[in-house]
Amino acid sequence: MPNAALEEAFAPFVGQDFGPPEIARDPVNEAMIRQWCDAMGDANPIHWDAEAAAKTHHGGIVAPPTMLQAWILPGVRLADPDRPPSDKQEELHALFNQHGYTGVVATDCEFEFERYLRVGDRVTAKATIESISEEKATALGIGYFVVTRTRFENQDGELVGSMVFRVLKFKPSQPPQQASSGDAAPAKPQRIPAPRGHDNGWWWEALDRGELMIQKCSQCGTLRHPPRPMCHACRSVDWEEQPSAGTGSVHSYVIMHHPPVPGYDFPVAVALVDLDEGTRIVANVVDCPFEDIHIGMKVECSIEELGGVKLPVFRATS
Amino acid sequence: MSQSRRLGDVKVGDALPDLDVELTAAIIVGGAIASRDFTPVHHDRSAANAAGMSDVFMNILTTNGYLSRFVTDWAGPDAALAKVAIRLGTPNTPGDTMQLRGEVTAVDPEGGTVDIAVAAKNSWGDHATGTVTVALPK
Amino acid sequence: MSITLKDQAAIVGIGQTEFSKNSGRSDLQLACEAVSAAIDDAGIEPSDVDGMTTFSMDLTDDIEVARAVGIGSLTFQSQIPHGGGAALGVLHQAAMAVATGAAKYVVCYRDLNGRSGQRYSEGVSGDLITSDSIHWSWYIPSGLMTPTSWVALVTQRYMHDTGTTSADLAQVAVSTRKHAVTNPNAIFYERPITLEDHQGSRMIVDPLRLYDCCLETDGACACIVTTPERARDLAQKPALIRGVAQGSGADQESMTSFYRDDITALPELGIVANQIYAQSGLTPDDIDAAILYDAFTSIVLFQLEAYGFCKRGEAKDFVKNGNIEVGGRLPVNTHGGQLSEAYIHGMNGVNEGVRLIRGTSVNQPEKSDHVLVTAGVGVPSSAMILGKMD
Repeated sequence: MPNAALEEAFAPFVGQDFGPPEIARDPVNEAMIRQWCDAMGDANPIHWDAEAAAKTHHGGIVAPPTMLQAWILPGVRLADPDRPPSDKQEELHALFNQHGYTGVVATDCEFEFERYLRVGDRVTAKATIESISEEKATALGIGYFVVTRTRFENQDGELVGSMVFRVLKFKPSQPPQQASSGDAAPAKPQRIPAPRGHDNGWWWEALDRGELMIQKCSQCGTLRHPPRPMCHACRSVDWEEQPSAGTGSVHSYVIMHHPPVPGYDFPVAVALVDLDEGTRIVANVVDCPFEDIHIGMKVECSIEELGGVKLPVFRATS
Repeated sequence: MSQSRRLGDVKVGDALPDLDVELTAAIIVGGAIASRDFTPVHHDRSAANAAGMSDVFMNILTTNGYLSRFVTDWAGPDAALAKVAIRLGTPNTPGDTMQLRGEVTAVDPEGGTVDIAVAAKNSWGDHATGTVTVALPK
Repeated sequence: MSITLKDQAAIVGIGQTEFSKNSGRSDLQLACEAVSAAIDDAGIEPSDVDGMTTFSMDLTDDIEVARAVGIGSLTFQSQIPHGGGAALGVLHQAAMAVATGAAKYVVCYRDLNGRSGQRYSEGVSGDLITSDSIHWSWYIPSGLMTPTSWVALVTQRYMHDTGTTSADLAQVAVSTRKHAVTNPNAIFYERPITLEDHQGSRMIVDPLRLYDCCLETDGACACIVTTPERARDLAQKPALIRGVAQGSGADQESMTSFYRDDITALPELGIVANQIYAQSGLTPDDIDAAILYDAFTSIVLFQLEAYGFCKRGEAKDFVKNGNIEVGGRLPVNTHGGQLSEAYIHGMNGVNEGVRLIRGTSVNQPEKSDHVLVTAGVGVPSSAMILGKMD
């Protein structure tokens, strides 16, 4: 259900400029260019070696084109938490915030370049709020996409390039967590380990020791997987562990593409494997081009760490 | 780097050399400062933590800077970038690795440009994906 | 004396909310709106309702709905497990309740904010949607953690065994979409797709592409069940339940029955089919239209075979040449299905089945005396045959 009051309030913003054109405080200069190239590891001589640059069609030192916005950003003033909204975009964001759409995330960025900037050029930027979408349901929460366009000109009024930015202003579906440095999200995601309970924990513990086990009924000898507390053939609750040879063939398989899950590094192949002992197991197939995986393919198991979790993985039998 | 790639040398399906960037706080903060983007989440770990992140994360201009460098490393000094269009995804934080990959998807002999599908992956997924258009000498 | 459920109950009212990606209201409110609409459609009063049944996955308590709608006292309550497999399980419960006198008017309902709230496509990786975490433990670490992935694994084997191709699956997507294009209630109203669109859509879990997968929707549906005797005096032309049944097969898991000799056999569907045909005395030849549970295109093929419309491996040919569109041998999912109208866990299909019997579907086939309605595939399932009252 769209927010009518908000939509009415933001409508006048569409088509408006952020404010008067912004003029770069400093002309394009070698010091800032060199700092940028150092930070990006950019060794392109057209940005720092006048002699080499002169031999290219650029004809002399030019600024990296994606540096365009850096010429007009206000620098350290951006970090001032008490800075009042200074342009229409910031006023628009403040309006969204008042209505509970406090989240913001940039989703798309597009640069187009007409000409490379040369040392001594001075940039002027004119930014416009181009459009605001209808309300959208997204993974982050409901929100609106705001598109802004900035036009960059040089001192002669020639178009240098343009930048289109799309951000989502959204109502966070989860209340923001008061994260401290101790419990913030880990730097690297891991796979989700199997929850372990009374009836399955032993199997994963064996895997931790490097052994692929099959549950075997102590009374009638029937093998079963996944483990269960009672034998379906004779109803005995006595069972033992039998090591598997780890060899078998692919019964069916899929390639996981979407949705991506952190820690899993999709696309990955998952197969249902017929173990030679007669039970089946779901596990990843690795080191095999996806197009070569096929039903009936002979595979063998090894136990390895994938995404921080010890798992059985299968490779094509050589 | 001194050799420039020519339009006639390029065909659809050509892969750019992989570039893996081991991300450090210096790279992320350095990129933010070089682009004059002092938004606190890009240089102040406590501000990043308050935003629910484990550490400072890369600003968008630095991502664009790396992507354009990735392409011009391959294309050479005579190349001129015409367009960089990306969709943004998972954040880049220190300790992670940004893997840049690219493949030529179109060659326009008339316009003298090449389209390259680029992807910057990290361990959370796609950091950025999109297309870079670059003009090459004929 | 042996009694069956043949002609013991009828659906006399249907109700639903709009279908959207963002309802902007609670699950409870959606349920109340759908139940209230079904009561009005039947021409009864809330206080007439004395039984309620829903899915165990539903987030709304029956008694909360009862309080809000003013239903009052209840003499029958039940919840059916295993997701979309419950879609006709609830009708089965309602039919048994009214046939035995446990209740006079039973409301079956399902509400979900399936797009703006919890999305099933995200799978069981985060907040487990089931307490049975041990079950999922065999699949989550390898990444096989979404409904699409579980169905894709069975689909891959089915395609291998029967020679079915992705282009055959596309036929189901395209035919179903045609029906949604003329249905103003459908999410994909006026948005047709082609076989090429399907083949060009991105892979979700190979071999299933985006257009092989159903929608995720906010909305709710409800229907009212009573005896045929009471039905005669009510506002609407009743949809008589000629047969209704549940079934769970040997070695059944919820979505992951991967340990049977033939993982594509899905014996639970046969158990359901045998019962509803035996109860009703009807055969597949008598069925004029079908609402087949279509969370994925491939499971429509599985059901065409399991419910006896064609032989094993022949569904890929059955769906060709408009055969499952209005005007074909068996119009399937005339509302656009869950692929293209809305995903309300099969309950929007129940309402469409009733409309087909009433003659009020937007895609009404020439003949619809008997309509098959089915439930989730890969889980313990259920189905129903609707017919007309004399």
